[in-house]
Amino acid sequence: MNFALTEDQKMVQDMARDFAKSKIEPVAMALDESHEFPEKLIKEMGELGLMGVNIPEEYGGAGFDTVSYSLAVMEIAKGCSSFAVTMSVNHLVCEIIRLYGSEENKQKYLVPLASGEALGAFCLTEPQAGSDAQNQKTTAKLSGDDYILNGKKAYITNGTYSNVFIVTAVTSDKDAPKKEISAFLVEKDAEGLILGKPEHKMGQCASNTIEVTLENVRVPVANMLAGTNGFKVMMNGLNSGRIGIASLCCGLSMAALDEALAYAAERKAFGKPLNRLPVIQDKIAEMGTLLEASKLMTLNAAFVKDSGSNYAKTASMAKYFAAENCLKIVDEALQIHGGNGYVREYKIEKLYRDARITSIYEGTSEIQKVVIARQMIR
Amino acid sequence: MKFFVCCKQVPDVAMAFQIKDGELQKDDLNYVLNAYDASAVEESLVIKDAVSELDLSLVLMGAEKGKEALRKGLAMGANDAFHIEDDAFEGSDSHAAANVLEAFFKDKEYDAILCGKQSQDMDMGLTGGLLAEKLNIPYVTNAVGLEVNEEAKSILVTRQGDAGQEKVELSFPCIVSCSNDMNEPRIPSLRGIMQSKKKPMNKVSVADLGLATDAVGKSGSKSTLLSMDFPKARKAGEKFEGEASELVSTLIDKLTNEAKVL
Repeated sequence: MNFALTEDQKMVQDMARDFAKSKIEPVAMALDESHEFPEKLIKEMGELGLMGVNIPEEYGGAGFDTVSYSLAVMEIAKGCSSFAVTMSVNHLVCEIIRLYGSEENKQKYLVPLASGEALGAFCLTEPQAGSDAQNQKTTAKLSGDDYILNGKKAYITNGTYSNVFIVTAVTSDKDAPKKEISAFLVEKDAEGLILGKPEHKMGQCASNTIEVTLENVRVPVANMLAGTNGFKVMMNGLNSGRIGIASLCCGLSMAALDEALAYAAERKAFGKPLNRLPVIQDKIAEMGTLLEASKLMTLNAAFVKDSGSNYAKTASMAKYFAAENCLKIVDEALQIHGGNGYVREYKIEKLYRDARITSIYEGTSEIQKVVIARQMIR
Repeated sequence: MKFFVCCKQVPDVAMAFQIKDGELQKDDLNYVLNAYDASAVEESLVIKDAVSELDLSLVLMGAEKGKEALRKGLAMGANDAFHIEDDAFEGSDSHAAANVLEAFFKDKEYDAILCGKQSQDMDMGLTGGLLAEKLNIPYVTNAVGLEVNEEAKSILVTRQGDAGQEKVELSFPCIVSCSNDMNEPRIPSLRGIMQSKKKPMNKVSVADLGLATDAVGKSGSKSTLLSMDFPKARKAGEKFEGEASELVSTLIDKLTNEAKVL
């Protein structure tokens, strides 16, 4: 086995680190306060190739592997997880179009998404269908050469700023023996596509999350992905998305650990720096070990995907483990800060709020375990 | 026009260093392109953007790992790179480095050689000056701005002096050492990183340069690094509070009897 990064992977990592340090970190706290979406910086990330890291060059991407992508998300998330979730969702949309789009779909939608000229959103969740994704109520009815979409989608990341939406909808009749779900590419200017107001969230405040309503939205048949195999589209999209979010968790944990280490070196108690106290050293060792394991699992999932093998289990394991331990790491990092960690002046307070969503979105921890167990019990 | 930028790979100074028995522990270090050299690359690229026929080459003397720094420069936009790599370089000081660079440049055609004003690891700031002396060409230090005059075949250098900025015109060929106050080096795009793999990376050895092995490394050096250590931690200052008249006499007493500076 060889765990060493290749020269390419290191260069992508360094480049994302440079961008996060010089462009994201200086504005992250202010954006958290203002809840402003950093449109200009996201555009800049696109120009640098960070919105299509592992998408082939012929489709507008940078052409690197998934390990490079994962490393880049980690560094961007270390700067601010709001940027990383925007990036991760765009990659999920790119990946779905790469896998299931026609050549025409790829040229029209994937190229601008992967090159950063456009932004994408994935519309799966509905007000009554979160973890129970099969319980979709959005419908798509064939009418001539178009499908007519009606329904409501909830918690749609990038919604306000997206040019392309992948929308899942039920295509089978109500009384059909088997429920069929399909996925469609919907353009932002489609008539009847109504974008709601941004949600006022607890964390990741510089990312954009809205409700999307579809009222008789006409979508050409050519924009249907994988026919009636929409569930497969959803699952494979989420599998790749889970590598993105697991990477985000690692980056967020890296930031929290750095904050804890810096604070423990500076703050004194009982006549010595906190980091000389065994009780604090115990926490630091625990946090460092959990982070190392999260990174290894995440990069392994990326490696398995790059090798062309089934990566559903490793991606879910990585997402589950990295998210749960991200929560533990930010919690301990805040604990090391004591009362100071509870005030907004300290970065750890932001990281704590940012982390909470990680065990919920892109499949809750509970759902990850369902996926993992299904892959293990055949 | 033809420019060269001399590059060095240095430990990332943002990382924590460890020194054991007077030696820097190198195993866990992350190495990066020297920040001053990155500014020299950036300034060359700004000129290249304006004067499209400018051909920019990079040259680096150092271990195999050094090619990572060259690839960064190529990813930023340089045309090609020369990696002078040889085990015989171990222990080279600025004099030995200048010997190697002199041998490299003696049969090259160029209008200007840019380099960082110093390296972030040793902070000597000698190599550029030594190289200019050996090549017998004009040299200006600490540049914060460059303007090329193609017709006059010269370069107008704005340099930061102690008392303000000075403008110095140099005729080609020349050497300019660059400050990192000159610009903010661009972050290479992923496309640039991908393209950098396809750009020429020319390997050069001591033998290729016709240098005797005793002209480089420790035997070619005029100084020897004996040991390294961290600066001693500074004591926290003392703060005095009270009436001004009392404070003045306390301060005078401390400066006279403890600090012994009065």
